Amino acid sequence: MIHRECGIYKTSYQADMALYPLPIAKWTVAAFAVLLIVVAPIVLDEYYLSILNLIVIASVGAIGLNILVGYTGQISIGHAAFMSVGAYTAANLAVRFDMPFWISLPAGGLMAAAIGAIVGIPSLRIKGLYLAIATLAAQLIIEWTINHVPWISGGVQASIEVPRPSLFGISLDTQRELYFFLMFFAVLAVVGALNLVRSRVGRAFVAIRDQDIAAEIMGINIFRYKLLAFAISSFYAGVTGVLYTYYLGIANYEQFQLVVSIDYLAMIIIGGLGSILGSIFGAIFITLLPIAIRWFMEGFGYLLFTQAELMNIVPHMRLVLFGALIIVFLVLEPEGLNRLWQNVRNYFRVWPFAY
Amino acid sequence: MRPRFLLSGLGLLAGMAVTATPALAQSEIVVGLMCDRTGPTQTVGVFMCPGYHDYINLVNSKGGVEGHKIRAIEIDNEYKVPQAVESYQLFKKEGAVLVGLYGTPQTQALTQKLTEDKIPGTAPGFGTASAADGIRYPYVFPIAATYWSQGAAAVQHAKSQLGGLEGKKIAYIYYDNPAGREPLPILEDLEKIEGFELRTFAVPPPGVEMGPQVLDITRRFRADFVISHLFGRAPSVSIKEFKRSGYPLDKIVSFVWGHSEADIQAAGGWEATEGYSGIQFAGVGTDYAVLDDIRAMYKAEGKDAPKEMDSTVYYNRGVLIAAVHVEAIGNAVKAKGGGDISGEDVKAGLESIKDFSLTGLVPPLEVTPADHEGGGWVQVFRVKGGKFEAVGDWFRAYPEVLAKHLKAERS
Amino acid sequence: MVEWEFLILLLTNGVLIGLMYALIALGFVLIYKATDAINFAQGEFVMFASLIVVFAILAFGAPLWLAIAVGVGGMIAFGFGLERVVLRPLIGRPVVAVIMATIGLAAMLRGIGPMLFGSGTQSLALPISDAPIIWGPLFISPIQMLGAGVSICFLAVFGWFFLKSRKGIAMRAVADNQQVAMAMGINVERYFALAWAMAGIVSALGGVVWGNMLGVDVQLALVGLKVFPVVILGGLDSIVGAIVGGIIVGVVENVAAGYLDPIVGGGTKDFAPYVLMILVLMFRPYGIFGKQIIERI
Repeated sequence: MIHRECGIYKTSYQADMALYPLPIAKWTVAAFAVLLIVVAPIVLDEYYLSILNLIVIASVGAIGLNILVGYTGQISIGHAAFMSVGAYTAANLAVRFDMPFWISLPAGGLMAAAIGAIVGIPSLRIKGLYLAIATLAAQLIIEWTINHVPWISGGVQASIEVPRPSLFGISLDTQRELYFFLMFFAVLAVVGALNLVRSRVGRAFVAIRDQDIAAEIMGINIFRYKLLAFAISSFYAGVTGVLYTYYLGIANYEQFQLVVSIDYLAMIIIGGLGSILGSIFGAIFITLLPIAIRWFMEGFGYLLFTQAELMNIVPHMRLVLFGALIIVFLVLEPEGLNRLWQNVRNYFRVWPFAY
Repeated sequence: MRPRFLLSGLGLLAGMAVTATPALAQSEIVVGLMCDRTGPTQTVGVFMCPGYHDYINLVNSKGGVEGHKIRAIEIDNEYKVPQAVESYQLFKKEGAVLVGLYGTPQTQALTQKLTEDKIPGTAPGFGTASAADGIRYPYVFPIAATYWSQGAAAVQHAKSQLGGLEGKKIAYIYYDNPAGREPLPILEDLEKIEGFELRTFAVPPPGVEMGPQVLDITRRFRADFVISHLFGRAPSVSIKEFKRSGYPLDKIVSFVWGHSEADIQAAGGWEATEGYSGIQFAGVGTDYAVLDDIRAMYKAEGKDAPKEMDSTVYYNRGVLIAAVHVEAIGNAVKAKGGGDISGEDVKAGLESIKDFSLTGLVPPLEVTPADHEGGGWVQVFRVKGGKFEAVGDWFRAYPEVLAKHLKAERS
Repeated sequence: MVEWEFLILLLTNGVLIGLMYALIALGFVLIYKATDAINFAQGEFVMFASLIVVFAILAFGAPLWLAIAVGVGGMIAFGFGLERVVLRPLIGRPVVAVIMATIGLAAMLRGIGPMLFGSGTQSLALPISDAPIIWGPLFISPIQMLGAGVSICFLAVFGWFFLKSRKGIAMRAVADNQQVAMAMGINVERYFALAWAMAGIVSALGGVVWGNMLGVDVQLALVGLKVFPVVILGGLDSIVGAIVGGIIVGVVENVAAGYLDPIVGGGTKDFAPYVLMILVLMFRPYGIFGKQIIERI
């Protein structure tokens, strides 16, 4: 990630596909792991850990969406609906059948994957905007179904309270304990995604994205792989939903409405389409954006506005900046934060001997 | 290349923001307020939250609560859950002893956290009716009438308007979400008790068009009275549709989120909506001494009263929330004998709220450890001659029916 | 009341409201037809236009006709500017880029609107009565008549424009194949700008009609959600499709609310058109009137 390489000397496909491009990469990854898993929970206080927790959850969802949109080129505006599928599946299992999280979490993901594959069926015939709207319809239909079937939603409130996850009899309820809980699954998600995209399946996805008819001619079963992409992406979304459920202690479909789908799309656009690292950057960025704007406006806003005005301006400013940043990235840097990161790296690769 | 560096700069800026740590003042009592000024309920938030701050400022300008100033931190959450979680953690970090929650999904998402952290949260008009049960949810305080109480009050109002309900037809038109469906069990129960015929009409979100439902109510079902429970733009659309069908507006009673100045404006102004009534849990209008005090405070500072004060329905609700907070903190400080109060003290303070009327703006609340709703008091207001006019006094309806349902919910 | 009279009431209401949906959908279709871009901010366009109109009336005391003219002018300028700054750099980029750009635009408009014009709800009064026109068993609201009328006028105008006028034919050429059109000496970018400006006009008038119906504040943008089933059913690039799609959606909504709701026990009105839309897409992936695209490698 941050190591400097001094050129590309790859001579085989194996080398190109390797998880660690250089031997030293193992050490940087290990250092990062230590930083995140040992140092961060010790150094940070509860507030910053809670932000980190939100980022970790969002990262899982963003990676899932990126597999579908960034790698396979299929648009989905229904990502949040799959989260709610996962959330309600896990919540029902946890409450009705007293299942522990290590059963309900994969079950939530699998249920979302199954529903996602069904939603993906039209993708064989329709594409582009028509597909986008079909997934929008899926979002609304899933919302409606959860809302109207008490058997799923757990009653008129359409919300199910879930006990905290427990491990060896210890209930994980502080931000720090939850951080380890969430981080464990996020690491699994990242490693899984990294391995997926460098595998046969991942390359089939990319081929479909770049030109689906050509991919079909080359012998890739488009239908199968498109459905697979939908299923995997929805699996990630479902897991995200379960993580939210355990983190908040409640499953509620109102947490997973259309705006949330759009937030996740914004994450992968800003972070970088077709990049796992970019998805994480995007999740960090979108989660921190409101905090940063608030902090900035509270620090400097009083120079221009009164307190009462500021209360109104700060939130609207955030909305404007959110929109503006999406557009700016699309126009100026289509490959997102990930590309910026690469630029910085490339700059330092030969630094200080730039010429 | 240049734009790329510009973007890198922006990214860095965002990264730096995390390191900011605001200072913590000692003598203040910190209260957190969540608000929505940009999301789907912003037309409420932009009036309610200024009302909250104005009342807190008024209390502070008079020397604070028992000598302690209150610092209210407001964070806009755009009606999104992750942002609400983050802002709650910030409140907690800043040492907040009381949190003003905003929004139903946010309230539900934070309920467990509040209980674990022992910080009370108020959610007037939000959250679920069962949250009125202080034994099941010790740290959530709806304070204002829940949708169950409002449903019962609406039936009571219909009964007094029609002079008895036996054999009458009542239509319930509701926003098709959990909040909209919540009063259904109460209404169905009262249908049996009072002997009227109830039929329900769902308005799915976003509710910008409801011709068929209203045609059904007025032309096919031919309702004698309409209870309406709508949100957002839907109330004003419903008023227009009822007018179009020639239905008398004084035969409609709305729940708390469908009866504000904004709805009246959107439906075409005061004259066009004469007779439209609604349930309120905070006093409406400008005839309250506390509002004059706020105006006087602005005048003393040499400023005009803010235009938010004209939207009295939501502004007064903000004042009500602030007043409840101040009262609870006052109780806590008195009980503790100092400003060093914790969330548990404020919880006890909230639970000892009794007999304060804030010059008539607040209903005769009586919060107890078991009843966090404060009795479920409401008042009906009606559009008349260019303003809202009270129809009768504060009242509570069918408390025994509500108690039965709360008990059933607990088990 | 007899059952069939209720049905007729539902059907007329459906047709009229459907034509009002079509009014918003037209702006969407115009842009897609001419530039292949998808405007997810159509609802926000309508909201922004009506905010301008109301602001002109309230802040400057402009008479209604002038305020509407200001709204139309403002939206034309906005359309031109938007095309130049945001959409031109995105020409030739994947669909998702344009979709996201307009989603970003929607967020910006929702932030800028209240920041400039305030968050309060305003009414937009038109010199027409609220009282229904009663015609036999029918109850017709004047504002819906007006909306439907405007919609049909636009259909006629755009029909003439695309079939007969020189500019309209050039625009069709641009839509058909940008490179060939460019080779034939058509200034493609100018026609893109023109399309966005035309969408601005449609949005402005849509904003006046819907602003009167719903009241003017940020939530007016919600009508944008109604557009998708309309345009998908009709076909994204068909003006007639927008009108027919609008009528279908309006009628389906009304019949669903009148006859399906009591059976299902929930609001099916906004959900039924989406189900219908998916069914149609399964058999006609390009909508009822949409143009089938033949893909080549």
